[in-house]
Amino acid sequence: MLEVRNGGFETTVQDYPGRIGMLSLGFAPAGPMDDYAFRFANVLVGNPPGAAGLEITAGGLVVAFHDERAFAVCGADMAARLNGQPVELWRSYRARPGDVLEFDYLQGAGFRTYLAVSGGIDVPPVLGSRATYLPGSVGGLDGRKLQAGDRLPLGEPRVDLGQVIDRRVRADLIPDYAGYNEVWEVEATRGPQADPDYMTREDMDAFFSHHWKLDAASNRTGYRLDIYKWQWARTSGGAGGGHPSNIIDNGYPVGAVNVCGDQPIILCIDGPTLGGFICNAVVAKAAMWKLGQMVPGWSYIHFKEVSLEEAIDLLAGQDTAISEENLERS
Amino acid sequence: MTEHTAAQPSGVILATFPEHNGRPGVVYRNAGDSFLLVEFGDMVFDLTMSFRVLGLDDAIKRHRPEGLIEVIPALRSVLINYDSRVLPAKRLIEFVQAQYEELPPFHDLVVPSRIVELPIAFDDKWTREAIARYVQYQRADAPNIINGTNSEYAAMYNGLRDKEEFFEYIMATDWWNAALGFFPGLPFAYPLDPRRAVVIPKYNPTRHWTPAGTIGIAGPCLAIYPVESAGGYQIFAHTVPIYDPQQRNPAFRESPVLLRPGDRLRFRPRVTDEELEAMIQAVYDGTYQYVIDETATFDVGEYLRFLDSVREEAEAFRRHQAEAATRVPIP
Repeated sequence: MLEVRNGGFETTVQDYPGRIGMLSLGFAPAGPMDDYAFRFANVLVGNPPGAAGLEITAGGLVVAFHDERAFAVCGADMAARLNGQPVELWRSYRARPGDVLEFDYLQGAGFRTYLAVSGGIDVPPVLGSRATYLPGSVGGLDGRKLQAGDRLPLGEPRVDLGQVIDRRVRADLIPDYAGYNEVWEVEATRGPQADPDYMTREDMDAFFSHHWKLDAASNRTGYRLDIYKWQWARTSGGAGGGHPSNIIDNGYPVGAVNVCGDQPIILCIDGPTLGGFICNAVVAKAAMWKLGQMVPGWSYIHFKEVSLEEAIDLLAGQDTAISEENLERS
Repeated sequence: MTEHTAAQPSGVILATFPEHNGRPGVVYRNAGDSFLLVEFGDMVFDLTMSFRVLGLDDAIKRHRPEGLIEVIPALRSVLINYDSRVLPAKRLIEFVQAQYEELPPFHDLVVPSRIVELPIAFDDKWTREAIARYVQYQRADAPNIINGTNSEYAAMYNGLRDKEEFFEYIMATDWWNAALGFFPGLPFAYPLDPRRAVVIPKYNPTRHWTPAGTIGIAGPCLAIYPVESAGGYQIFAHTVPIYDPQQRNPAFRESPVLLRPGDRLRFRPRVTDEELEAMIQAVYDGTYQYVIDETATFDVGEYLRFLDSVREEAEAFRRHQAEAATRVPIP
């Protein structure tokens, strides 16, 4: 059992790939915003890569261990300490009963960090997943973020503790995060409503060259980017509505760039599943993790166009990278 | 299978199939490495397209190839979530197109369609509270708010005698749930009787707060808000919960979402606020019995004959409505 002493800014139980196959009922998949760090944290402690762990946004979490476990922290630096001793990122450790793991707030680049514990967080799955989906109040612990006094059950570890502690992720596989006011390069394909039918070629050229500022009002449902004066290929949305960004409602791909009026919004993993605005691009699944480490109000995004084939190759490469073989003994 | 054109240079359109023997054309649009958007016909409002879409949805589910994760139907499209490493886009397109071309002739389509009866309280206290907050905190001079309601405006916009006649229209037609989405369990429902097809423009600006259970309309589409949320639809009524993440009623045993695409919603009986409040309590006690005909089907041929039989009346209402709308300000 893991005892929460302080829930911090926003800490939730997540698993990967979340609650898939329920978009047609209006459920976004949820899951970790940075699935790369999340999966590596699990691999470090000997869990399946998708096992339930904690997503710590901005920091402030304090937890106490009640039994002996391996744990790992991957993602943004929040100056984690175990009983006051610094904990390195991308590395597995042993925790003993009574040990306290504390997270400070952000120390630099990045926005979320992930805590995996051997055995995983064993809250009951809801609709096939333990991922917390805040807009629908389901999954995780009672469908909400964690708070002081919460007690999280842990599962049975798959392997002996001794085999999985003191391991680290190979240095070249640890990503560098763009800092404050810096630009993240995010791979994306053109979306279903790009040029030439909905936007002009010039609109799409601008989309793939502009450095988009991530608005402070961004969260797991959507990442708002700056307003842009699009040319538009149509003068109105026809039967979909008055504005040329309107269409007759259709399903939204997870990670789509949804242009609402003149504002592009990236639909994140808790985002709306269906609606009546165009999607001019879709973030490559292998690049979705980058969203999780951007800082709302500070980060910039440059969308780098990739083809469908390139996006699929990126995904395959990423899945291969996240593996036991890419760990080293400390 | 008819031949498809080469992808455009931008790679947005992956394949197109023209209209053939009265079967609407299909466009396959790139939607990233895990999704494919399939669109039918033109971008016009045609409720009958939903029957084809749900017929296809059903066929795809019955012949589900490996790597297909989910089909997300909407009014004139399906979005497909798939694992592109197991099922390449080209093979998925061939599969979907084959299913589409094997659908029975449109007139012979009979699709599963439950009938779900929902009690309704018009201009209830929850709706009035949401509108009052909007007036107080957001916009005091909204033309769509008359005497603290949206229903009087809705009646005027559609050329109806008064809000009572508007309420009669809502209850006089079944509502076809073409899709669920945006929030968990939110229905996008359209009137099956074109003689009762009211239309209303949206809020401007959108409302910050709408209680769960609120019923609203924008354009021709009726929605029920499953969770407390912002909203842009004109609101005029309240019903029992359609979403319960705690699954406290037998109707939610299998899923916290009550409704499905292809359901027909029927608003009855009309109840008072007090009666509805007791029903909502009974939902959470587990004692309320939702009235759902689980085995009902929808016969498209029969419906098309009905549409033919009321065509003139429907046209007359549309003209009357359009004329009335010119005399009413837009929010």
